[in-house]
Amino acid sequence: MKREHQDTCAGSSYGGGRSGNSYSSTKSECSSMSTGKAMMWEDEQDHDGGHGGGMDELLAALGYKVRSSDMADVAQKLEQLEMAMGITQEDVISHLSSDTVHYDPTDLYSWVQTMLTEINPDNKNNIINNSNNNNLNYINSRIVDDSEYDLRAIPGIAAYPIKSEPSENNTTKRLKSSPLESDSSSLPPVTVPAPVSPTRSVVLVDSQETGVRLVHALMACAEAVQQENLKLADALLKHVHLLAASQAGAMRKVASYFAQALYHRIYRSYPQETLVDSSFSDMLHMHFYESCPYLKFAHFTANQAILEAFSSAAEVHVIDFGLKQGMQWPALMQALARRPGGAPSFRLTGIGPPQNDNVDSLQQVGVKLAQLAQTFGVRFVFRGFVCNSLADLDQTMLDIRAEEAVAVNSVFELHRMFARPGSIEKILATVKMIKPKIVTIVEQEANHNGPVFMDRFNEALHYYSSLFDSLEGTPGSLPSSQDALMSELYLGRQICNVVASEGVDRVERHETLNQWRVRMGSTGFEPVHLGSNAFKQASMLLALFAGGDGYRVEENKGCLMLGWHTRPLIATSAWKVHGTES
Amino acid sequence: MQNERRRRTKSGSEEKEKRHKFFINDNIDILTEILKRLDGPSLGVSSCVCRLWCTLTHNNDSLWEHLCFRHLSTPPPPSVRAMVAALGGYKRLYMVCVRPVLSRLGESEGVRNRVWTRDDEVQLSLSLFCIDSYESSNGSDNSASSLMFLCNSLNV
Repeated sequence: MKREHQDTCAGSSYGGGRSGNSYSSTKSECSSMSTGKAMMWEDEQDHDGGHGGGMDELLAALGYKVRSSDMADVAQKLEQLEMAMGITQEDVISHLSSDTVHYDPTDLYSWVQTMLTEINPDNKNNIINNSNNNNLNYINSRIVDDSEYDLRAIPGIAAYPIKSEPSENNTTKRLKSSPLESDSSSLPPVTVPAPVSPTRSVVLVDSQETGVRLVHALMACAEAVQQENLKLADALLKHVHLLAASQAGAMRKVASYFAQALYHRIYRSYPQETLVDSSFSDMLHMHFYESCPYLKFAHFTANQAILEAFSSAAEVHVIDFGLKQGMQWPALMQALARRPGGAPSFRLTGIGPPQNDNVDSLQQVGVKLAQLAQTFGVRFVFRGFVCNSLADLDQTMLDIRAEEAVAVNSVFELHRMFARPGSIEKILATVKMIKPKIVTIVEQEANHNGPVFMDRFNEALHYYSSLFDSLEGTPGSLPSSQDALMSELYLGRQICNVVASEGVDRVERHETLNQWRVRMGSTGFEPVHLGSNAFKQASMLLALFAGGDGYRVEENKGCLMLGWHTRPLIATSAWKVHGTES
Repeated sequence: MQNERRRRTKSGSEEKEKRHKFFINDNIDILTEILKRLDGPSLGVSSCVCRLWCTLTHNNDSLWEHLCFRHLSTPPPPSVRAMVAALGGYKRLYMVCVRPVLSRLGESEGVRNRVWTRDDEVQLSLSLFCIDSYESSNGSDNSASSLMFLCNSLNV
């Protein structure tokens, strides 16, 4: 049912001969405007519409002639056109600006055909024959001579690279058409570039649908990577980038980080952890601390548990498995100083990774904490340990004294032990030997340590989507764009590690709270319930955060979980060795 | 009759004289007592009245201490005073932590069920204040931005 352009020329009943470059792009499905560029289209209502039976009345009232029976087909082709225009923006634009071509934009069916042939001149015949077929066949016929990419696996999307320039010999008739006026009340605005000024192409995108497609494309790419089909994965990755560009906000950022990670995985170009400047990662950590409540939640709840465990001790010793900047300890010192019975003497052992710049950051942190302790009037001793892995720690190294109460604190550190087999058992055994009053563990609430790559990928996609969503907050609620950017970078590096690296390099091996419960239980620890004070502090903290409505604190069998809407994201739990008196 | 009137007017004018002779600035203890009962913004405004008032509100940290701990059910232990003084003083504590915390948590009263008390809020403010002081002692580029989240407007 292809209508020849000659027909439209002859049957056209437009009044007056007004020339002008005019291209329209419209979607018969109403959708939101993309955040990208837009062209304005001057349109005049054509009241002569309705050439024959079966024209869609609504569109005819606006000046567009499409047969009702063709509508689905036109919609499908418009999608293809959108994709094509998105990919081949440069080609289309240069072509459009140099050639004066007039198309009848009211005849949607043939106009779309024309545009598609413009962009894919090789496939004109296929388009004609493909009126009712699904996209899969279209793709097949399109890339028949393209051996590099096998895009048959892509469900329901048209994705193809454009090899050649659109041909100059247009088979379309040149006809003078009057500019049509768009009626913006019912249809989304139809757009056209200005005649000689640089043209900007329009992409009217249904962003929700593209969001779903984006997720599917990412998962398809991950599947391809798992099956070692790297060519397909590469092609899908390009497609992901295209789709991601049409999204806005959290979804785009997550997609781009995951796409980057997949790229690293495909080309095995994962940046080594050890090469990264530790002061840079500390800075990212600080920004993450400042811009969102996760770390603060972790610190406050862990401190409360430690405080309650130390209730009457005169000498306390805290072992921190990841000291970083020591942001957790001022609050604990202050709480200890305010104890009714007076402050105990406070020993802190801070453990950190080796530094690749010659700065002893652990000692610097210790000095600052000591200064603070002096203002509080708390006797304070600091010890810093540098070690590659926590498993290297030894009971004798930690110098535990008999009369002191010991607490072991690990915030987002223990999951790294899973990278080397045997490490986690070793460190837990060491902790048991120390006989601490309390062990506080804060970990991400997600299973990123499964053996199957696809499962890990899916879990990570959902987890980090929620996390990025929470960072997004409301406009104007973020402290500064730099903070937000740094936090995202901090999370992006985790994403890259989960997706792209393997073996001992993959250190972000998160496990869920239940998995930790099983592990700790079988190692000989029993849970200590976090009290209502911890819950109160966490609730207050979250209420203080702008965008606090989205955060949720949950109590889960004595452990506290902080989540974004319905998704728990981090969990604090406290443990003591089975059989010790509390 | 006239004598009485004369006596009354005489005592009235004496009283007026006495009233004229009372300047609040001469009675700093009374002034301090009054200022103690003001709220934060008013205290800030009163420090702009004159030099004396400014000195009082600036130097007398106890005014701000009263402001911070006004709502506490039990007065805090004396060790807190030394601590706060070392960390930057009650005025700073109020400006940086207590005021934003109380006002923001007060706003949320109608919205969600409170599980905490005013005491808890003040304690949280103290903790945050410590973190803030610690962070500013770090120096470098980010000066005490761990409390930036308190400065942001809540989405109502």
